This record gives sequence, C-alpha cells and structure tokens, in this order.
Amino acid sequence: MKFIERLTAIDRRIIYLLLALVTILPMLFPIAQKVRVMSPVEKCFNALDTIRADKALIIDFDYTPQDMPELEPMGLAMLRHAFTRRIKVLVLCLYVQPLGLAQAALDQIVPEFNNRAQSNADSIIYGRDYVFLGWQPPPLIPILGMGESITNVFKRDYYGNQTDTLFLMKTIKNYGNVELLISLSAGSIPLSWVAYAQNRFGVKIATGCTSVSAGDFYPYLQSGQFSGLIVGMKGAAEYEELLARKLNFQTRRKAGESLSSITFAHLTIMLFIIIGNIGFFMKRRKK
Amino acid sequence: MNLAHDPWIWIGALLTLAIFSFLYRDNPFYKTAEHIFVGVSNGYAVTFYWHNILVPVLFNPLFRGRLILIIPLIIGALYFTRFIPKVSWLVRIPIGITIGYYTGVSIPAGIEASIIKQVQGTILSPANFRAWHAGSWGILWSVILFIGVLCVVSYFYFSREHKGVLKVTSRIGIVFIMIGFGAAFGYTVMGRISLLIGRLQYLFGNWLGVIK
Repeated sequence: MKFIERLTAIDRRIIYLLLALVTILPMLFPIAQKVRVMSPVEKCFNALDTIRADKALIIDFDYTPQDMPELEPMGLAMLRHAFTRRIKVLVLCLYVQPLGLAQAALDQIVPEFNNRAQSNADSIIYGRDYVFLGWQPPPLIPILGMGESITNVFKRDYYGNQTDTLFLMKTIKNYGNVELLISLSAGSIPLSWVAYAQNRFGVKIATGCTSVSAGDFYPYLQSGQFSGLIVGMKGAAEYEELLARKLNFQTRRKAGESLSSITFAHLTIMLFIIIGNIGFFMKRRKK
Repeated sequence: MNLAHDPWIWIGALLTLAIFSFLYRDNPFYKTAEHIFVGVSNGYAVTFYWHNILVPVLFNPLFRGRLILIIPLIIGALYFTRFIPKVSWLVRIPIGITIGYYTGVSIPAGIEASIIKQVQGTILSPANFRAWHAGSWGILWSVILFIGVLCVVSYFYFSREHKGVLKVTSRIGIVFIMIGFGAAFGYTVMGRISLLIGRLQYLFGNWLGVIK
C-alpha cells in the first residue's frame, strides 16, 4: 500500500523530467514508425490533387509561432503538393502575426522547386504560379469581399505590387475561379470560412487545425461542410506520407519524424493516469 | 554537435530554456522571459497596426482630402472616452456599432452553417450513410450519431425533472458527453506534446545541431 501511496504522490517535476526524456530520446535515436493515413486527411489530399488547371487554390496561413509545430508541416506539405501539380496558389492571412510565417514557408518551398528547375516553364514564378496577397483586416471583410473581387479587397500584395497587374490575378477574379480553400488555423477561422464564404459563394473548404480544436471541427467534416480535415502533427505526418506515396516526393518529413516522440509521450501519460487511478481507488477502499 | 552561429537562434534558445525553468519553480529567468514576450508582442502589434492600417488606410487618405474618413476616426476615437469619467458613456457608441454590425452579419450565417447544415448531417438519409465512407457500417454510425445527438440534447432539457424516459435518455446523453470530453482531453494532450516537440526540435536541431 505504501508503494502505491508513494506513486500517487510523485513530485510533478519528476513527471516532467520523465516526459522530457521519453520525448527527447526518440528524436536522438529515431525509430521508424508506420504512418496509417486516415480518411479525413486523404479527402483533403484528394480535394487538392483534383483541382482543375483553370482554377486556383487559396491557402489561408493563420497560425502563430505557438501553433507552428502542428500547422507549419501541413502548410509546407500543401505548398509542395500544389507546386508539384502546377496548381495556381493564392496565399493570404487574416491576422497580422502569421504574415512572417507564411512568408517563411514560401521562402523555403519555392527555392526547393526552382533549384531543380531546368527551364522557365519548370520554375515556380511569383505572379504567374503563386501570389502572396498579404493581410487585410478585419477577417470578415476579405472573407466576404473576395466573393466579389479578390483584387478589390487586396489592392496590393504583400510585397506592395498592385494585384490587378499580376498575371495570375487576370484569370483569378473571385471565388468563382477558386476550387478549394484550405484554412490552417488554431482558432475558429475555418468555421468563419464555412459560414461566410461557403454558405454564400459555395467555395469548397478544407482545414488543417491543431489537435485542441479537432473536436469542434469533426461535425463539419461529417456534414460535408469540410472537404477534408488534417488534425495536428499526426495529420501533418499523414499528409507527408501521402505526398511520398502518391507523388514520390522525397524530402524531410518534419511531422513524420516526431511520431515516435508523440507515441512514447502518450504511453507515459497513460501510464501515469492508470497509476493515479489505481492509487485513488486503493486509498478510497482503505478509508 | 554543430552549435548555431546565428545570435537570434541563441536568443530564442535561451528564452525557451528560461520559460521551461518555470516547470521547476518560479524564478527571475522565467519572469524576465515572460516580460520580454509581453512587451515584444505588444510593441510588434502596435507598430504593425500603425504602419499597416492607421497610416495607409486612415491618415494618408484623410490628409489627401478624403474628409469622409473623419467619421470613422471620430467613432474610433470615442473608445478613448473610457478614460474620462464624465463622458465615458460615449464609449457605448463604437461598441454598439461593432456589436450591431457583427451580430447582423453573423446570426444568419451562423444559423445556416452551424444549425441547419448540422441538423441535415444528423438526419438518417442514404446520403449521410455514404458520407462516413464506411460501407454498410455507415448506417450504424449514423444511427449512433442520431441517438447521441437526441440524448445529449435531452440532458440539457431542464424544464422537466429527469424522470422516466427523460432520465434514461439524459443518462445516455452523459455517456456521449463523457466520450466527447475524453476525446477532447486526448487531443489536448497530443497538442501540448506536439508543442513540446516543436521546441525540442528547435533546441536540439537549430541550436545544438545534434538532430538534423
């Protein structure tokens, strides 16, 4: 009994230390882990994969530094996917903080393609293949306004160019020219896209969200309002797996590398929950 | 080991360690990092809004002669009457306009997206059975969802005492709610561990260079 009592009174700092160890060790000594792709992620992948040549994809980068570990790998994988398929991409943000992160994602992915390109046609060129629209507050204004005219809402792009002079924007006028919109957000922004852009203009919406918000979003996937759902680091790892499996895209898998750490950390937490419960019931029986 | 040469990575790593030190106990390193975070975040937001909203959208056009912009400028400035007790009631004007606008825009859209479409998704129809992508299991999942929704709603019906049929349905409703809470807790754990992993990748990868 004393042993159980001691277990239930472990100093929280020891638990933190153990948790840190089980998270760090798989990073230093990687263990290969099979990634099982779930249907919500596959739906998102297929929705992006089947975008027609005359339509565009909008990626709404709305994650902040604290959400980066979960959402950044999704953004990178989606940009890789879209550029591999030569899909026209519009990138935008609805809040200020994500602007630099969206810029960083583009700065990482565009050179990956351009360093391999052998001709102008192979390259990913700003204004022709993608446009970074930047940010326009408050969020409701661009969501509703882009149904009428994207260049009216974003008169200048992130770099200060007039958007109506950009080649890509001559064919992408409003939601009528957009086949899919993916919102990468830690908050409720994907639901705003559903409520305003989808209800009024019929845009297909998919989302990449943090694990914490997953519970709120699953009902919208079941009802068909989301065309796909990617949840947290595990969802990002599944998307990376699909990229490798279906498009033979071999690159660093930032989310996939973390799965062993997630698994061991979860097992440790489960162990402590079981120990805590056993201790609680044994103490209660003693009373 | 391949230590970073970029001083910004060192600053980021040391601030991360300072924040983590709170796990041991509250200390001056943690407090310093916390104050830096709050100050930098606010400074960044204020300067960004000034340079990207107030100056290009309001002040520049106003000084170029678009006098109509005086109206939003005055309405916005009324927020500051909060600091003058005698006229603090004027703050209700911008608050009222903001609430009125957002309520008008969001109520119809919210009802459509979060109530009507969700009710449609709960109806036992062949289209909803197929939406699960689970073959004939889709029927079972739809029935479970249907029962779950009704029982959870009945749990929140407080106009009658939970006796008889209502007692049974509300008890079943609690089971569904608990499953929902369990799933939410599991996801929260995964989210927090992912954030820890992100920081550790930064420390061991970008800073110390012991992982690629």
